[in-house]
Parts: sequence; structure tokens; C-alpha cells
Amino acid sequence: MRFKQLVTFIATASAVFAQPAATGISGAPAAGGDSFIIKGATVHPVSGADIQNGSVIVRNGKILGVGKNLAAPKDLKIIDGKGLHVYPGMIDAATEIGLVEISSVRETSDTTELGKFNPHLVALTAVNPESEHIPVTRFNGITSALTMPAGQLISGQVSLIHLDGWTTDEMGIKPRAGLHMRMPAIATPRGNFAFDSGDAPGGGGRNSFTEAKRNFDKEMAELNEFFESARRYMQLKAAQPAGFKPDLKLDAMIPVLEGKEPVLITAVREREIKDALAFADKQKLKIILLDAQEAWKVTKEIKEHNVPVVLGPMLSLPLNEDDPYDRQYTTPADLLKAGILFSIGTLEGNANLASRNLPFQAAQAVAFGLPHDEAIKAVTINAAQIWGVGDQIGTLEEGKWADLILTDGDPLEATTTVKQVFVKGKPSDMGNKQRQLYEKYINRPN
Amino acid sequence: MTQRFSALWRSRRLPASWSTAALTALALASVAPPHLLAQTKGTWLLQDARIVPVSGPALDHGAVLVRDGLIEAVGANLPGLNIPKDASVIDCKGLTIYPGLVDGLSNWGLTNSPPTSAAPAAGGRGGGRGPAPAPAAPTPTPAPQGQTASRGPEDRPSTTSWIKAADQLYPNDRALETARNGGFTSAVTFPTGNIFSGQGSVINLAGERAGDLVLAEAVGQYLSLRTAGFRSYPGSLMGTIAYIRQIYLDADRYKLAKAIYEKHPQGLQRPAYDRALEGVLASQRILLPATRNVEVERMLAFAQELKINDVKVNAILYGGHEAWRSIDVLKQSGTPVLLSLKYPEKATDADPALDEADRILELRDKAPNTPGALAKAGIKFAFYSDGVATPRELKAAVKKAIDAGLDPAAALRALTLSPAEIFGVSDRIGSIEKGKIANLVVADGDLFATSTKVKYVFIDGARFEPPVEEAAPARPNGGRGAGRGGPAR
Amino acid sequence: MNRRTLLITLAAPVATPFLTKLAAQSAASGNDTVLIQNATILTITNGTVKGSILLQGGKIAAIGEKVLAPTGAKVIDGAGKFVMPGIIDCHSHIMAEAINEGSVSVSSMVGIEDVLNPEDIGIYRALAGGVTTANILHGSANSIGGKTIVMKMRWGKNAQAMKFEGAMPGIKFALGENPKRAGQAVAAGLAGAPTGARYPATRMGVEDVIREAFNDAKDYKAVWAAYNAKAAKGEIVIPPNRDLKLDALVEVLDGKRLVHAHCYRQDEILMLIHVADDYGFKIRTFQHVLEGYKVAKEIAAHGAGASTFADWWAYKLEAQDAIPWNAAILVKKGVLTSLNSDDAELMRHLDKEAAKTVKYGGLTETEALSLVTINPAKQLKIDNRVGSLEVGKDADVLLYDAHPLSNFSKVEKVWIDGHPYFDRDEDIANRTKKDLEKKALIQKASADQRGPGGRGGTATPPPTTPQEGSNQ
Repeated sequence: MRFKQLVTFIATASAVFAQPAATGISGAPAAGGDSFIIKGATVHPVSGADIQNGSVIVRNGKILGVGKNLAAPKDLKIIDGKGLHVYPGMIDAATEIGLVEISSVRETSDTTELGKFNPHLVALTAVNPESEHIPVTRFNGITSALTMPAGQLISGQVSLIHLDGWTTDEMGIKPRAGLHMRMPAIATPRGNFAFDSGDAPGGGGRNSFTEAKRNFDKEMAELNEFFESARRYMQLKAAQPAGFKPDLKLDAMIPVLEGKEPVLITAVREREIKDALAFADKQKLKIILLDAQEAWKVTKEIKEHNVPVVLGPMLSLPLNEDDPYDRQYTTPADLLKAGILFSIGTLEGNANLASRNLPFQAAQAVAFGLPHDEAIKAVTINAAQIWGVGDQIGTLEEGKWADLILTDGDPLEATTTVKQVFVKGKPSDMGNKQRQLYEKYINRPN
Repeated sequence: MTQRFSALWRSRRLPASWSTAALTALALASVAPPHLLAQTKGTWLLQDARIVPVSGPALDHGAVLVRDGLIEAVGANLPGLNIPKDASVIDCKGLTIYPGLVDGLSNWGLTNSPPTSAAPAAGGRGGGRGPAPAPAAPTPTPAPQGQTASRGPEDRPSTTSWIKAADQLYPNDRALETARNGGFTSAVTFPTGNIFSGQGSVINLAGERAGDLVLAEAVGQYLSLRTAGFRSYPGSLMGTIAYIRQIYLDADRYKLAKAIYEKHPQGLQRPAYDRALEGVLASQRILLPATRNVEVERMLAFAQELKINDVKVNAILYGGHEAWRSIDVLKQSGTPVLLSLKYPEKATDADPALDEADRILELRDKAPNTPGALAKAGIKFAFYSDGVATPRELKAAVKKAIDAGLDPAAALRALTLSPAEIFGVSDRIGSIEKGKIANLVVADGDLFATSTKVKYVFIDGARFEPPVEEAAPARPNGGRGAGRGGPAR
Repeated sequence: MNRRTLLITLAAPVATPFLTKLAAQSAASGNDTVLIQNATILTITNGTVKGSILLQGGKIAAIGEKVLAPTGAKVIDGAGKFVMPGIIDCHSHIMAEAINEGSVSVSSMVGIEDVLNPEDIGIYRALAGGVTTANILHGSANSIGGKTIVMKMRWGKNAQAMKFEGAMPGIKFALGENPKRAGQAVAAGLAGAPTGARYPATRMGVEDVIREAFNDAKDYKAVWAAYNAKAAKGEIVIPPNRDLKLDALVEVLDGKRLVHAHCYRQDEILMLIHVADDYGFKIRTFQHVLEGYKVAKEIAAHGAGASTFADWWAYKLEAQDAIPWNAAILVKKGVLTSLNSDDAELMRHLDKEAAKTVKYGGLTETEALSLVTINPAKQLKIDNRVGSLEVGKDADVLLYDAHPLSNFSKVEKVWIDGHPYFDRDEDIANRTKKDLEKKALIQKASADQRGPGGRGGTATPPPTTPQEGSNQ
């Protein structure tokens, strides 16, 4: 019923999308059928060339076919895609969606547990399926996100989720997608931007380098010791001596030590990035670099290690006062040139870093030299590949989940409206609290 | 009393035996015990010296006659017959006489830290009270009134405008001896640490009682742009600036109100006495901090606003490291600058990976160029110590400015006549001229050359001889905030 | 500029990267007559023109399909490119060395004008994002905050020369969580009352503070009027105190100072409208005003403007009902609306923020671009000078490589008063040179450090100005 309304709506979609697509309970997860054919749309499979006047067939939530003049089973519902575009749903490769509702209200934040080492904590456990951020983000065509605990040396397991579902179980694509680790940094104040941020003409900052280095060495020692103890535990567990006692924390490290699970390492500056690569060598880890803002300085080493990078937002200030003004904008193009696999994560789930603005981060890189198709890849298939689900999502290919979006234009453009989002072949509710308030107040009598 | 007096002098002067031997060797007429010398201030004839009077051209084979603490004569060598009978003659062949150096902005004399070189004299300050006082004793400024946070300008936060350095002096401050040994004879010393910190005084760097040191007791008000913290007004730089502006409005009105009331006390409510405003009204000059070009421009514009009954304040800027970029505005305003001899440097323990901004690198690189640039443009400036504790380091800093283009004569002037002029005491000190106070430094060569040694220093006509050589000085201050730094900004 | 160039030869025997960087921005300004041809010109107020625009004598001299190049004019081929007026940010904190005087509930005695830093790199970065004018505000820690000032981004000039000549001064007010935070941040005392807390701690208290302050201002005005009357009659009277805090509020009452009020919730917006009505002054803009869409009618009736974010929300409780349709609703309900940054990063892409209103609420391209050009100009009462491309207005002009509302576009050149202040080609061309100069400086510094007698100074001095955190 609901789906039928939707089909009708899309077929008659006006140029400016002002009315909600569904009139059911706002925020309700996708309901209705998960089989249909979109016809007559410009299809952007990402895995191959764009198809004008193409079709996408979805059956039981999976993509059955993508192409021109596809023969569809007769009983399949038809969605008229004339004048519209079909893209794979976008993937935010690192964020905190579902874990934080209001950043300034501690009670609404579940990102940071006490203790430096929490490898056994899993983000999905604390994802709030009712978070207002989910439908708001989905509204712009983001269908999946990697959500992560953060803040500690090892803050927990990151989870790849669908941005639709009645429960966390339904949302989870890969609950244990990786281990989030923060590379210790020699934290001396940087304050290079203005005199009110602490730098005297004498420069150098307030804390001494020696002291910061001491803290760094301590953290590095703790990290190495933690990995070593996990390794000892792994051997002990394999031997199963009498009286062996399982340990939740160390158990969680085994897939990491076995190289089955990647470590997502936050490493912002050159020094941390190099340290992270060395750490991976030493501990024989499979790693992904996160928020590597100075990756452009270390492309050779990153490429040699064949390590993928999840970049933070391009719409960020340069790290150093004398950096070119567009330093953050051009990093994706630099990584592409070096042959490094990269995607983009919005990192913190609020304000201008909002997950919903993921496509505009990619677009900024396009304005500054990244080819457009590479930008699309960065927010779709690259993220899927980095998170080990390249065979499930990220492109419009047969056999993959039907995570797709129907738009009236390029999804990287802010002026584009996403007409409909499908997650696992089900049309998502395009309403959210913000739209409800809009509907309510635009109609307030004058 | 006498015991204390002589102990004090002995501690700062040559050992009596050495001194006596030296004087005997020179076959001088009268050899008085030190205390006697000091009482009479002595009569000295410095013969056959190169004289650099600063106020005029240098003079080879000249002589300076010092009597009763004053320069009685300066000129060509006196023929032997004309040597005054009471004069102790010092043969200065190969030596050069300069006016005593003046620290243009100092806190020398304001710290209760007697010299460590001498055992605490019986009955002396600090004597009988255990070990010597902590060297890091801060400038003695009264705490702001009241215990609670300031709620506005009316609470007169961070203000001690009424105090005078002259009333806070410690004649046994070990900084005086250290400075003297390097050729400094005077300083313009200021209470610091508050927004309106109080009046600076021109002092000589030797004397028995505090009062003996003072040449001019109130030559200007030291202002800083410090804040009182986020919860107490002013909590920001703009709050501090607004506070100073308000104080000048208040002082302007206060003066007017008092004048009206004096004329017509009947029928008018009397204006409430306000010591903060009294201190401001008594200030002949104000010292405003400005290190960067931006600050120089800001403070020059600000100083233009500050008026008392339509008379603009006499502003002096201090800091000045980046003033080489502010030449035009400085020249236009005619505002003198006190240049810090503590050049900005990279922190000793800085992160090697720190990407410091161009502007910071450049500020450090160019700070020693500032004196030369100011001199070339004819802008009046003087140097100040800014916490650089040893004369040796001060001279090295001056040398750096000379290497960066400052004319050596201009360098000398910036440590002698210029500070005297800026603070209105050039009729008393700053040059070697008849009638001026006998503050002299006698060196065995060019004062700023590294190999040069100071042989004698005369203050108020009393002679001091630095120890043969200072041990390599310990790192002064041991880092920021410690030690008796310069006027805290 | 000339002064600085001169200085380099005068006082600097070695390389001067920072200054040459500053000078480079205006070095290109030798030619003040510029003709951009064959471009798509988005005038904002008079539609789109395919043709030419002439910048001469600091003003826009002509716009049309064909404009003849005056002799000596620099001609730029704008084929495939877009020209629009410089972006105006109605809420920024760049170039301020202090943001909040947070010690008092009413800090109208302080002003941003006193702490401007014309060398803040944020200015250049904003320029590169197309911003030519910005309203620099005091922070939001006080019910009544400090004085504000409108600046042009004339990078390389000093603070005085960057001031927007003739722009009316303003003052910051703040409602809601920020001003009451200081009343709540301190641990509760015995009786449950915060100890050492700064009044107010509630939105009710915020209203009280504002009313008390305007009561005082009215008294103050009356006292001065009485004094002036007596003095005029020749009576012997002692003048009352001048009070900088109340001077600013009297200016508000007299309509000589524009009020920019930080606010979030609809209740506090209404409160301030009532207070302003009671005391007979106007709110010029509500800033942030994230629930403005709920009281658009009342805002419009008061005649206030709204200056908001495109889509920020969820960063604090009072931002929970923020919706990205806010600007569109406000526009449709007749409120003069702008989009602002409040942030040095967001400031660099206000054009892209404007683009969001096409999606959220279906504003037209012109309506969307107006949010960052003519509307903020009107809010700041500088629309006779800037905010649109019209003959006679200041030549504050941007050249884009694509449509400014496209996320794939970027600013290529920026002129202010007809002078070039940003040129992407020059910026890129200078990078290698700047790098080399900096490396040379670093090498020189380390050589000095190692060399004999290198340590002229001692410890690291603190900056002359006190430190303060930013106001996010």
C-alpha cells in the first residue's frame, strides 16, 4: 500500500521536492516490497559506464540486473525513472552516527568508554536506531555508515551499518568491521594560527617537547605491551592449559592479530602516520588510516604498505598556518595520483561535519582536481572495499544489496534532491523530524 | 648602623685590602676608608682617557673631574700642576670613559634579594632570618582591592596606579650589583604586574638607603594589558583596553569635578576621593606594551584617545620587536619606543616537527633589525633589559643589533642619553657633561665588544670595580616565569 | 603596501617571506581598471547578464552585453566563467584577538574594534572562499555583549584600512544557553545556589539583565540631559560620569547602533522582541535564530533580519529543533534572511551553504545567492555600497570557474574596491617560492642558534597580549 503510493509519487515527482514521500509514521523503517524495476532512468552503476535510459531490477532486496532494455518479470512493480538518476547509496566511511545525539549533552553520547583499552566493545551495541540523525542523513542519499567508538587508545570495534532498520540487528552489515585505535601523538600545542591560540613570538608552545615525548613513549609502550599480552593470550588459548580463563578484552584481539580484522588507526600528522605504518609492520597488522590529514606527505610509504586511507572532511582548515588555503581540498587528488585506495568519513556526527554532508566533502575535492567519477567512488565502492564489503554494497551490480538512490541530479551537488532511498531493496521513509517541523511551520497561518 | 653600613659596602666593592693596595700603587694622595669615601663621594680625576660623552664628539686624551658626586669638569688632560689637591687621580691610558648605562625599563631594585657573594651582614635586611630570601620574589605590588572578582571598571581591578617604585626599593637587591658590574649606573624601574601598575622611578644603582637611589620618583605609569581571568573583569584583551579607556574618562571628569568643587564647595556634592585616579593624574607618561606591528598600530591609535582635560597623554611604547615594520606610524606619531633586549627565540624544548608560521620565524629573525631601522628613521628609542639578567647577555643583544645594522653610536645613545631624554632626566644623567651626576663607566675598549672589560663604574661619584671576571653566568631565570624577569607584560 | 615594500629594502638585508606574502596580495593592484568579458554575470538584483563588467576607480563602472575596454584596462576573458558580488558574512570572529569579555553579564563597554588582527590568516582563507565583507562580532557569553564592527577583507592592509568606511557599528546580544552558562557552570553551594556564579542562570534572568541594563541606560541618558540643560543655563554643576557601558546602550536606544542578537529558541526570540518594543529600539538581526522559522511572522513584524546556518544542528540542546528549511521558511514569510558562518572554516564556503537552500525549501538561485550577498548587506545597512553588481557600487567582485551554487565550482579571483586581493593562479605560482624562503629562514635560524654568541635573548617571552580561547 505504502509502496504503491510511493511509486505513484515518484512517477509524478515535481521538480521541487517539497512534500514528504510517505505519510506513515515518520521515521518508520522501510516497509513494503523489496522487488521492483526502475525504468527509463540514467543509471550510474559506478562499476561501469553510465547507462542512459537504463533499468535496474531489484528482487528480494538484491540487484538482479542493471542495463538497457532489461526484460523484467511481469509481476514486478515498475518505477518510472524518467528524468531521474540512479546511483548506489553513499557510504560514510567513518562517523559516529547513532552513538551521539547531541554532542554537548553527555548523556546522549556513547562513543567513549573509560579505560585506554576496550577492544571488546562494539559500536553496534550502542547504536540508537531511533536516532534523529539516521533519517536526516539518509535524506541526502547516504545508505550506510561505519560508526565508531572513539577517544581512547583502543576505543572499540567499529560497525558498518545500514541507515535503515527496525533494530540494530537489522541495521548491522558488519558489526565487527575493525578495531579503532588512536595512534599516540607527541602532543605539543600547535597554536600556529593566531596569537590568541597560545603561540608566543618565541614559539614552540607551552608544553615542553620532552614532556610530551615522555607521554608518547609511555603510551607506545602500553600499546605494544597490550598487543604482546594479547599475542601471549592467543597462544595460551590455543594450548588450552588447565585452568585457562577466558578474557573478553584479549579474546577480541585475536581476529586482529590473525590479520582477519583491520585496525582503523587515527593518525593525523606525518609523524603519527609513519608511526602507524611502523606499528603495523611490527605487530603484523592489517590497518586502515583514519583522518590522515598529512597523508599527502607520506604517499610513498602508504602506497608501499598498501594501506587504504579514510580521509576526514575536506571542508576543514589547513593544519598549519602556512599551508596552502586548499591543502585539505587537494589531498584526495594527491592520494589518487599515488594509487592509494581512499574513502571519506565525516568523523563527528554533528554540525558542519554532519554525515548528511558527506557528498559535499567529495564534491569539494572535485572542485580542486579530483575526477568526478573518483569522487563518487570515494563515497561508494571505495568505502565498501576498505570495509571488506565490496561484494555486497557500493555499486549497482547483480547480486549486491539494492542500496540505491533515485535523484534529480548529481548527488554530489547540494542543489540535488534525493527523491527516494532504497535500503536492501526497500524504500526508506524520506521523512524525518526536521521535515515534520518544516511541514508544520510552513503552514503556520500568517 | 656603622657596622651595617660598612658591611654593605664591603660586599659590593673591592676587598678593602685590594683596594688599598691599588690606590697605594697609584701613589694617590689620600686613601680614605671606603665608608669615608662614600660619605664624601670623593674627588676623582680620570686622566688620559678616551672620552665618549654621547652628547658630543669623542675626545682622546681627555680627563673627567668628579667631585661631590657630580661631573665638575670634562676636557683635555689637565696639566699636572692643575690637578686638584683633593683629587684621586686615575690613569686611564688606554681606557674609554662612557656615561653610565641606563636601563630604560627595569625592575632592578624592586626585589628583596641581597647579593649572594657576601655573607648576610649582621643587622642587614634578611639577616638573622635564616637563608637568603627566595630569588624569585615578585615585584612587591599590593593585591587588588578586595577578595571577590571584579564586576566592572568601578571596582578598579588590577590597579595600583598610586604606588611609586621609589617607595618600594630594596637597595640591597642583588640585581643592582650585577648590573653595576656590567656598566649600568641607572635604571628607570617600574612596579609591574597590574594593568595600572604604578609609577616608575629613575634610580641610581647604588646607595645606602632607598632614598639615596632615587633621581626622579615618578616619571611614568606602567600599563600592561593583562586580564583578571574569565570570571573577573576585565577578562579579555578588549576588556582591558576598555578599562583603560574608562579610567581615563573617569580621571578626566575627576580632575574637572575637583576643580569645580574647589572653587564652589558650597552647594555641590564633593567628588569622592579615588586613589586610582589620583595615580593616573599624577602620571607624566604612560608606558603601553606593543611587541608586534599590529600592537604598535593598535596602541598608537589608542594613545591618541587618552586625554585629561583635552591634553593628550605622553605615551611610550615598550616591547617593539616587530617595530621595524611600524616605522611610518611611529615616526608620524613621534612616540618613543623602549626596545626589549630579550629577543624572541624558539623555545629550547620545542617540537622539532612543529611547522612554525612564517610570521613567527620572521619576527624572530628581524627583531635585532628593529633598533637599526628606528635609528635610521630618527625615531627616539631606548633599550631595556626585559629580564635579561646579566650585562654580558645584554651587551650580546646590543651587539646583535649592531651587527644587524645599528650604528654603534646609536646603540650607546639608546642605553644612555636616549632613556634619560625619554624620561625627562637628561639634565642629570645620560651623558658626560659638566654639572651632571657623575655616573660613568670606564672600560678597556669598545663597550659592546665581547672582549671588553669594565674597569670601573662611578655612581654618584662613588667608584666601584667589578670583580676581575664573572664566572660564566648561569642560565638566568631558568625559563619563563621564573626568576626576577623583566617587567612582566 | 608601498610602505612595506620600502621597508624591505630599508631594514631587511635577508629574505622576508611573510611580508612579501602580504605584499604579493596587493602587488597586482597596479592596474585598477579591469574588464571581464564574455562571462555569466549574476547581478543578484538585476538578473543574469551574459557579457562584460567593468571595474574602474574602485567601483563597478558598467555592466552589459558589450562594454568597451577603456585604454589601459586589464581585460579578462570570462568565457565559461561566472561573476558575482563578493560574499558578505554577517557573523564572523576571524581577525579578533579576543572574542568574549565573559566576566560580566553586560559587556557593552568592550569592542572588537580594539583587538583586530589584520594579519590573521583566516582573512586570506575567507577571501579565497569569496568573502569580501564580514561583520566581526563579540562572543555570546553575555546577555549584552560587546561592540561589533564591519570589515572588508583587504588582506595586507592594516586594521584601520580594512574597516568598512561608514558602516554602522553594532552590538552583540546573546540569549539562551550561552549567557546563562556562566550562571550554571559553578558547583552548587549549600543551599543549592551556584557559588560564585554569574547572574543569570535562566532565560528569565537573561531578560531581566537586558531590561535592567536599558533601565540604567535611560536613567543615564536623563542624567546627562539634565546636566546639559543646567550647564547650558550657566549653572555650576559637576558633570556626571561617562560610562562606556551605557554609552553603547544609549546608542542602541537612539538607533545609532545595530543590535545583532544570538538566539536559538522561539521563546527567547519573542522575549527580546517584547523587550525591544518596550524600550523603543529595534533588533537588527537575530543571529543563528535556529527556531526562527517558528516565529517568522513575529520577526518580520518587528522588522528584524535573520542570519542563520544552512544546516547546522544537534550540537547542543537548543539546536535540536534546527531545520535546514529554516532559511527558506524565513524568506517565504518575508524575513530579510542571510546565511552566516560564525566559523573560520564555514566562512570559506558560504556559497555552497547557500546552495543547500535550493534543495531545502526550493529557493531560486537568486534567492539562494541573495542569502550571502544582498541580504546581509541590507542587514548591515551597507547595501548602497555592496551586495550586488550594480553600476556605482563598490567593485567587490568574484570570478568563479563555474556556477557559484555548484559544489564543483571555486573562486578564481577576488576584487575589493576594484583591487585584486585574491588570485588563485598567483597563489599557486607563489607557493614554491614561499616554501624556499621559509626553508631559508629556518636554516638561518638554526645556524644562528648554533653559532657563537647566538643566544642574545633568554627565555621565550609571552605575547604582549593576553591569551584567550575562541568562542565556538
